[in-house]
Amino acid sequence: MSATISRISKLYDWLDERAGVKQLLRGALDEPIRGGARWAYVFGSTLLFLFALQAITGIFLAMYYVPSADHAHASVAFIQKAVPGGALLRGLHHYGASAMVIIVVAHIAQTFLFGAYKGKRELLWIVGGLLLLIILGFAFTGYLLPWDQDAYFGTKVGTSIAGEIPVVGPVQQRIMLGGTELTSLTLSRFFMVHVFLLPLAMALLVVLHIYLFRRAGAAGPTHNKDDHKVARFYPKQLLKDSIFVLIVFVALLLLARFMPARLGPQADPASDFLARPAWYFLPLFQLLKYFPGKWSLIPTVVLPGILFALIFLLPFIDRRRERNPLRRPVATAALVFLLAGSVGLIALSKYQDSMNPEFSHKLNRQEEEANKFLQTAFQPQEIGRSIPVTPPDVVNPSVTGSAPLKIFFANCANCHGADANGGTFGPSLVNLGRRRNLTSEDLAIWIEGHGREPSPDSMPRYNQLAEEERRNIADWLLKLIEPVEATAGEPVSAINGEPPASFSASCAFCHGDRGEGSIGPPLLWVTSKPNRSKEDLIKLLKNPRSYGLDDPMPESFPDLTEDEMRKIADWLERLRPSQQ
Amino acid sequence: MNSETKMRPVTEASHSTTTESLPEDRRSFLGIVIGLIASSITVVLGSIIGRYTIAPALSAAGQPEWADAGLLDEIPEGEPVKRNVVVSQEAGWGRFNSQQLVWVLKQGNDITVFSAVCPHLGCSINHAQKGFICPCHGSAWDAEGKKLGGPAPRGMDVLEHRVEGGLLKVRYQYFQQGADQKKPLV
Repeated sequence: MSATISRISKLYDWLDERAGVKQLLRGALDEPIRGGARWAYVFGSTLLFLFALQAITGIFLAMYYVPSADHAHASVAFIQKAVPGGALLRGLHHYGASAMVIIVVAHIAQTFLFGAYKGKRELLWIVGGLLLLIILGFAFTGYLLPWDQDAYFGTKVGTSIAGEIPVVGPVQQRIMLGGTELTSLTLSRFFMVHVFLLPLAMALLVVLHIYLFRRAGAAGPTHNKDDHKVARFYPKQLLKDSIFVLIVFVALLLLARFMPARLGPQADPASDFLARPAWYFLPLFQLLKYFPGKWSLIPTVVLPGILFALIFLLPFIDRRRERNPLRRPVATAALVFLLAGSVGLIALSKYQDSMNPEFSHKLNRQEEEANKFLQTAFQPQEIGRSIPVTPPDVVNPSVTGSAPLKIFFANCANCHGADANGGTFGPSLVNLGRRRNLTSEDLAIWIEGHGREPSPDSMPRYNQLAEEERRNIADWLLKLIEPVEATAGEPVSAINGEPPASFSASCAFCHGDRGEGSIGPPLLWVTSKPNRSKEDLIKLLKNPRSYGLDDPMPESFPDLTEDEMRKIADWLERLRPSQQ
Repeated sequence: MNSETKMRPVTEASHSTTTESLPEDRRSFLGIVIGLIASSITVVLGSIIGRYTIAPALSAAGQPEWADAGLLDEIPEGEPVKRNVVVSQEAGWGRFNSQQLVWVLKQGNDITVFSAVCPHLGCSINHAQKGFICPCHGSAWDAEGKKLGGPAPRGMDVLEHRVEGGLLKVRYQYFQQGADQKKPLV
């Protein structure tokens, strides 16, 4: 035991002789703190910890992240949903950003309240102000990187605000965006600034800030009576700092674990997303409501400009030596006003959103969508699927009279179009084999519906088709390289005679004069569909809802007699495309 | 005490101040507590990051898929031809469908499909007048894929294939490089 200790102390001496470790450590730990250790002094060390935490988690997030509009969202979803520990790491980074904003405000408020910017500490204070700007820059640029709806629309508003600044605004906005629109170029720029420029600037300024702080020394208590004793940074202040850092770290871990960082669906520029900025920008957002039109420059440019000018000039304006906050009523009142005002504006903005039924409904729905997205399993993005594969030269299958064609018209054409080239609900099936690299088995299984949960907007299961029929239609579809020529949209021939008058009166408006389809689906081959036998059709006309048909199919046809219904069903059964 | 002293950095403080000193055992106890806090944060963060970093290395290789290598009728008799197959590879956030090269040799009813990946260090194998060569390090194989010379440890890797409705299908996969025997990567 003692041998180990002596060996360690020998190594320590060896290091010290070459690197001066002892002096370095003594310098770091023996910093005198006038008036002794205090909880009020913990914020600076906590910010240093948070900066390190953001740097470490950020570096590792970059291991999977892709800064491109095409892949950013997929890569973040992968980190969040699929990588072990990814949700925790991203959560730490996400909530760490908010923690940094909160702690930096506490740090500044403490410094301001204690008058700790006084006494040859102008540079220290100004570097602190620059660090505040950098933290806000981090928050602004980092918000875009996940490329979800929040990110896209939040940043769109943010950059538009920057564009409203007189004279330089439009140019500045273009430089920020890398063009006139928010694109993949914008994402690359924000990424570069967020992970290279700002961390470099922050690291340099943090070193300068600590150097200037150590040079000036801790300001100490504001009351003379505590001034007589001096403690060292180690151990009491360092212990307080460590305990507070631990509390912050555990809080961030718990948040990351139990309230996973939000990630909504991928940005969709065409959607009518209701954008709300991150909470720390809400005071400005709320103020914007009170300054319409040209006056909006007041909250976006003038007020922040005045605030930062005041911050930077403060040590030059306030040259009195008094540090007791109670004897500096104007300064103390200004701080309370600013903090209470910001909190009030955040609360007011939340309150107004909750009171506006339209907004609150929409914001709730957006949150539900984001939650739903987070809960669905990760789906890898398909890359390079559309590369044409040395395609087999298959001849378009015979388009008339074949059994698969009949199955197609009866089951597929309603959604995928009568020419199979895409319809209102379903995508084109032409060239499916080449585009999707599917085997006939795959497709037959898909048609049957294995591995697909039935939902209103997904393709229904076709397990009512016989296995052979499914295989036939799959084979046929894989060989389909041109749209089907015999479209049901063609006028239907007189093979089955003119439609009954009752059909023209009750059905033709939606299903077309000859059942070729219009707003309603085509009725060609309808009787070969499952549950659409002639008898079924008659029952269906009596009560469409009992066949699962919703609006716009009418609830009933009171004008039709049973005899007329039978005539319609008879006629539909004999309906054939014109080519036949 | 005058306010002048208060503003000055503490290092120049007047003699009226006294430095608080703690007994040595209390000092080292507090030091241990600080050390415990620092190391527990490091361990927790380190283990999250460690798991996150090595995850892809621990996941199994994807199952090889059957890929389309074109019409059988288009493959000439007795002459190796190049065919591109689309291979689907899952890698993190994406499923990457990339073209890979295979050599197809048809001799009557016999079809052999070779991977173009050199079993030595993975360069692309080229067709030469009487067989195949690897341009990187000079390995050579005959037209049947048997090794003739060079640093490659084995003959060319043969891929599984089948014919379906006139289409040649290949089960594309990767094999361990540098080994004497063909062994699929799993």
